Amino acid sequence: MLNSLIQQLNNSGLPLNSFAQLSFYFIAGLTCLFAFLVVASRNVFHSAVFLALTLLSVSGIYLLLDAQFLAVVQIIIYVGAIMILFVFCIMLTSRISDKAIRQVNQQVLFSLTLALIFLAIFYILIIKSPWLSSGAEIEPLSLKELGRSLFSKYVLPFEVISLVLLAVMVGAIAIGKARKE
Amino acid sequence: MIPQSHFLILSAIIFCIGLFGALTRRNAIGILMSIELMINAANINLVTFNKFLGSPDGLGQVFALFEIALAAAACVVGLTLVISIYRNAKTIFIDKINLMKW
Repeated sequence: MLNSLIQQLNNSGLPLNSFAQLSFYFIAGLTCLFAFLVVASRNVFHSAVFLALTLLSVSGIYLLLDAQFLAVVQIIIYVGAIMILFVFCIMLTSRISDKAIRQVNQQVLFSLTLALIFLAIFYILIIKSPWLSSGAEIEPLSLKELGRSLFSKYVLPFEVISLVLLAVMVGAIAIGKARKE
Repeated sequence: MIPQSHFLILSAIIFCIGLFGALTRRNAIGILMSIELMINAANINLVTFNKFLGSPDGLGQVFALFEIALAAAACVVGLTLVISIYRNAKTIFIDKINLMKW
């Protein structure tokens, strides 16, 4: 999908690497910005909208990583299903336009320090580690191979997931049911 | 070619933003959203390693697929609990919910 687009652009004279890099940094910047807005916005409903935008940007990252199927699944499940659930829950519970209510607790400074320390540790680890790379160009996994491995080698976890989903369905109905007193 | 470390740094940034949100939000739904951010950061890591190390059967992508399904399941249970708590306690601010604290 994106690869053919990149190829077309490549044929039209733009160097491939610079276009892929440009789009990666653009999408990465958007992702970080939206993720920050999810955490920072006062209104919970705005957070939900920014979360949807973050998830869309992450699916763009998946496209750049040659995982087309995952990108589509991300859009269908996260943006299509989970976001609807979040929006309904927000509308069913909180008063969304109340400005007077504090949205953060008293641990903001502590949490910010902790998160920055974690980020610094991750950064140093990522920069210092000698990442294994096979050197040669790795063929991107085709959808056919992914489906075959999902239904042959990983068929047991796949079925266990369906069992988990059934349990979740039953549990959600049992917990969420209104009790008659 | 975008180096592998840039993807990993992006996922570390998203993870830390999610961590900050999960620690500071008072709203239970906001905390669940931050947890979704952290799960997405982990997924980016899985897909990155799948692309750069190469696996003949696509283990990283399959695992990320399972994780998306499990994140959806966790989200459904969490939001149902939020609704149930709201019904009983009339609030979703977690510092007001001290039912199980001594």
